[in-house]
Amino acid sequence: MKRSQSHQRAVRWLFSLMCLMVAGPALAHGERNQEPFLRMRTAHFYDVKWSTDHIAVNEEVTVSGRFRLFEDWPANLPKPERVFIGNGTPGPVLARVESYINGSPAIQSGPLQLDRDYEFKTVLKGRIPGRHHVHPMVNVEGAGPLLGPGSWVEVSGDHADFKLPLTTLDGTQIPNLETWGVDMVVRWQGFWILLALVFAGWWLRRPLLMTRLRALEAGREDLLVTRGDRLWAAVFLTGTVLTVFGAATWAENRYPRTVPLQAGQFRVDPLPRNAHEITVKVERATYDVPGRSMKMTLTLHNPLSRPVQLGEFLTANLRFVNHAVPAAMALVDPRYPADIVPRAGLTVHDAAPLAPGETRSIKIEATDAAWESERLTSLLTDPDNRVGGLLFLFDDAGERHIANVSGAIVPVFTGG
Amino acid sequence: MTLPIKPPPEGEFIEIYGQRWSRWAATLSARLDIVISLIIILAITAAFHLHFQLLAGDWDFWVDWKDRQYWVTLTPIVAITFPAALQYVLWEKFRLPIGATLSITCLLAGAWIARVFGFHLWSYFPFSLIWPVLMIPGALVLDCALVLTGNFFFTAVIGGMGFAVLFYPGNWPMLAAYHLPVEVMGTLVSVADYIGYAFTRTATPEYLRFIERGTLRTFGGHSAWVASAFSGFVCVLTYLVWWHIGMLMTRVTTLPNRWRAMFGMPDHQTAAVAPAEKTHEA
Amino acid sequence: MTKPEPVALFTTQDWSTRAFVSWRGLILGLLGVFSLMLAYRMYQQVFGWTAGLDATAPAFDTYWMNLLKAELVILTTSWAALWSYLWFTRDRNMAQLAPREEIRRYVNLIFFIFVYAFAVYFTGSFFAEQDASWHQTVVRDTAFTPSHIVLFYGTMPLFVLFGVGSLLYAMTRLPKFAERLSLPFMLAVGGPFLILPNLGYNEWGHAFWLMEEYFSAPLHWGFVVLGWSVLALGGLLVQILQHLMDAIRRAEIQAEAQSLSVV
Repeated sequence: MKRSQSHQRAVRWLFSLMCLMVAGPALAHGERNQEPFLRMRTAHFYDVKWSTDHIAVNEEVTVSGRFRLFEDWPANLPKPERVFIGNGTPGPVLARVESYINGSPAIQSGPLQLDRDYEFKTVLKGRIPGRHHVHPMVNVEGAGPLLGPGSWVEVSGDHADFKLPLTTLDGTQIPNLETWGVDMVVRWQGFWILLALVFAGWWLRRPLLMTRLRALEAGREDLLVTRGDRLWAAVFLTGTVLTVFGAATWAENRYPRTVPLQAGQFRVDPLPRNAHEITVKVERATYDVPGRSMKMTLTLHNPLSRPVQLGEFLTANLRFVNHAVPAAMALVDPRYPADIVPRAGLTVHDAAPLAPGETRSIKIEATDAAWESERLTSLLTDPDNRVGGLLFLFDDAGERHIANVSGAIVPVFTGG
Repeated sequence: MTLPIKPPPEGEFIEIYGQRWSRWAATLSARLDIVISLIIILAITAAFHLHFQLLAGDWDFWVDWKDRQYWVTLTPIVAITFPAALQYVLWEKFRLPIGATLSITCLLAGAWIARVFGFHLWSYFPFSLIWPVLMIPGALVLDCALVLTGNFFFTAVIGGMGFAVLFYPGNWPMLAAYHLPVEVMGTLVSVADYIGYAFTRTATPEYLRFIERGTLRTFGGHSAWVASAFSGFVCVLTYLVWWHIGMLMTRVTTLPNRWRAMFGMPDHQTAAVAPAEKTHEA
Repeated sequence: MTKPEPVALFTTQDWSTRAFVSWRGLILGLLGVFSLMLAYRMYQQVFGWTAGLDATAPAFDTYWMNLLKAELVILTTSWAALWSYLWFTRDRNMAQLAPREEIRRYVNLIFFIFVYAFAVYFTGSFFAEQDASWHQTVVRDTAFTPSHIVLFYGTMPLFVLFGVGSLLYAMTRLPKFAERLSLPFMLAVGGPFLILPNLGYNEWGHAFWLMEEYFSAPLHWGFVVLGWSVLALGGLLVQILQHLMDAIRRAEIQAEAQSLSVV
C-alpha cells in the first residue's frame, strides 16, 4: 500500500513540475457567481463555528451551526422536498465522518420545512494537505447547492498517512476505505483485459484489412472464417460463461451477507419556535450602487413581553452587526471569517429599544464594499429583485429573537 | 489496357487468403494494418467513451450508484450500441469478429485513464469510489456468437441477452465487498454508501443518485435478475437497431462535386480506375 | 513454342515501403498533439487548484481567462493558416496523377486522419471524463472553468483543425475525392465539428434548465448524438481501402507495361 501511495506521489510530482505559487489564493469556490436572489432568499446559515482552523491528516474538525430555510423562498425554485446536508469543500480534501441535522444522522436526504430552523453538525477528517475553504452546505433537489459561510482550514501532514477504517456488521475489518476492494478490481479486470487481448490476438496476428476486404469481395469467406476460428470462439464462449458464474458464486460465498444501496429518507422535526415572534415589514428597500449601501425602512412590531434592540442583519452570509448592541457583538467569534463581517456593521437610525407591543418604523443601513466583492451587486442583472435576510434582535435579558426580512428592492444610482 | 499473359516471376508475388498480392503491396498493407488499427482504437475510444459517459456515466463513475435496478438495466443497453455498429463494419467488410471485444476494451481503457489522471490525480477521489464497470465477458460472448452463427439476428438474441445477463455476475466479484452492511450514526448503510458519503462530491448530493429506492415487489430481493432480464430484452432490440446504424455509417455514398473544377478535376476529366481484374488465384 | 521468360516487374523503381510512406509528418503531428495535451494537463494540475476554484478572483483572470483568449486566437488563426495552405497548394491537374504518387497521398491521408483521431481521443475520452471530476470539486459558477477552457475551447478547435484539414487534403490532392463528395468523410468531420456550436445548447441547459450536476442529463445528449458521427470513419475506411487497392492495381499495371517496354 505504502509503495503504491509513494508511486502516486511521484506521479503527482511529475505533474507539478512548475511550482509557481500564485499570490492571493481563491477565497471561494463558485458561490459568488450564484445569483443574489438565491443567496439572499434560500438558506441562511448562522451561529456557524469551526472547531479549529488547523488539523493534521487524520485529525478532525467539526463544523456546526444552524440554518433557516427562508419563508420567502423564490417561486422559481423547487421547494425543499428533498434536501441533503452537503459538504462545502473543494471535493474530498477532507473526508466526512459524521453529519447530523437536529441530532439525527444526515447520511440520507429528506424533506425540510420552510421558515423553520435546523441545527447541523458535520465532522470532517483531514485528508489532503493544503489550505482549504470549508463551508457548511445544503443541497436542495432541483435548486442546487446552497453554501454557508466559508473559513480556511489548514491540513498538514502527508496524504499517504490518511486512513479511514471501518468495521462491518459481520465483523469484517476494513483498514482503509480509500483502498478497500481495489485489489480485487485490478486483478479481476486485469484478467479479463488479458483474455480480451488473447481472444482478439487470434485474428490480429494475421493480415487484417485490405487483404481480408479483397478476399471477401472475391467470395473466399471459407479462408477468412475457418473451423479453427469457430473452435476458438466456442472455447471462449463456454469459458467466459463458466468463469463469470463461477466467480460470482465464489463472491456470494465469500460475502454471504450483503445489503443493497440504502436509499431511504430521513424525517426530522425542525427546532421549536416561539408562538409569537417579532414581525418585520419592508416599507422601502434601496440599494445604492455607487455607495455600496443597502438602506431599508422597516416597520417592526414587538409582540413579546420584553423590549428588543436590532442586533444584526444577515443576508447572503454577510453579517452586518450593530456595534451598539453588546449582546450582538458577543456573538461575533474573533475567529469567524472577517471578510464576511463588514467592519462598519449595521447602522440603525433609531437606536431606542422597541418596547413590548410597540410598532415602529426604523431605518437601517448596511454599507460595505463586500456587496461588490461578494458579487451581490449583480442583483441589478437579476430578473427577481427582492431582498431577503434575517434580523437578529436581542431583548434586555440577552435572549435572541430572529425575524424574517423580505421585500422589493430598488437600485439607486445617485449616491443618496 | 489489358494485361499481357505472362507467368508471374517467382518471389514477386505471394498468396494471402487465396488472392495474389505483390510483395511490396502486401508489405504496405501490413504497415497500414497497424496504423489503421491504431486509428480505429483511438476513434472508437473517443466516440464510445463520450457516448457512454454521457448516457450511463454517473453509474459508472461512482460505486454508490451501482444499484440493482437502474445500473443493471441501463448500462448494458447503452453499452451494446457501439459493439453492434462496429461488429457490422468489421464482420460484413472484413469477417473480423472482434468488434465487440475491441470496442468494450477500448472503452475500459479510456475509462481507466480518465479515472487515474482526472478523478484521482486531479480531484483526489479514491479508487474505491471510482472504479469503472467490467463488460468484457459480455463482449466476448457477443463476438463468439457472431463467429458461431455468422448471422446478426441470432447474434442479437444470443449475444444481446448474454451481454446483459453476464453484466451483474461479471461485476459481482468486485462489487460484493462494497455491499457489506455497516452501522454508522445508528443507521444501516452499505460500505459503498459510506464511501460515497465520506469522500464528498460537492455537486452530487445523495438524492441525486438514480438508484433503486424500493418498490412493492422485488421478487424476494432478486431485483438484479429482473433488471438483467429486462435489460437483455432491450439489448436485443438495441443491437438490431445499431447493427443497422453501423450499416448506414459504413455505406460508401458519394455525391457529385459541383465545384470539382476549382479543386483540380475539370468536368471533362475523370479519376483513373483500374480495369476489371483477371483472377490470379493460386 | 518456348515458354516466355518471366520478367521482373518491380525492380526498375523503388517499391519498398519507404517509397510510399513518410513517417516524419505523422510522428511530428502525434508528438505535437501529445505535447500540447501534456502541457494542458500539467497546467490544470498546478493552476486548477491555486487559481481555478473561483471565477471572481483576480488570479482566475490571469491564469485562465488569458489562456482562453490566447487559445481562441491561436487556434482560429491556425485554422485559417493550415486550410488556406492546403487550398493554395492544391493539385490543379489531378487527372494526370501517377498511381505511385496517388498511393503516397493515400498514405498521407491516412496519417492525417491518425492525427485527427489522436486529437479526438483526448477530447472525447480523456478531458471529457475528467470534466466530470472537476464538477464535483467546485460549484459551477461560469461557463469557463479550468476544465472547460481546455476541453471546449482548446482540444475541440484542435481536432476541428485536423478533421477539416484531412478532408481538404483529400479533396485537393486525390482525384476520387475531388470528383465526388464522400458522405462518410463529411459526416466523420462535420459531426464532431458541430459539437462546437452544440456547446450553446449545453450552456443554455446548465443556466436555465437543470441545476444539478450529473453527466447523464438530457442537456448533454447533443454531444452523444454528434459523437455517433465518428462511426462514419468505418465507411471512410472502406472507401479509402477500395481506392488504395485500385491505385495499387494501376501501379502494378503500369509496372508491367514498363517492364514490357524494356524487354
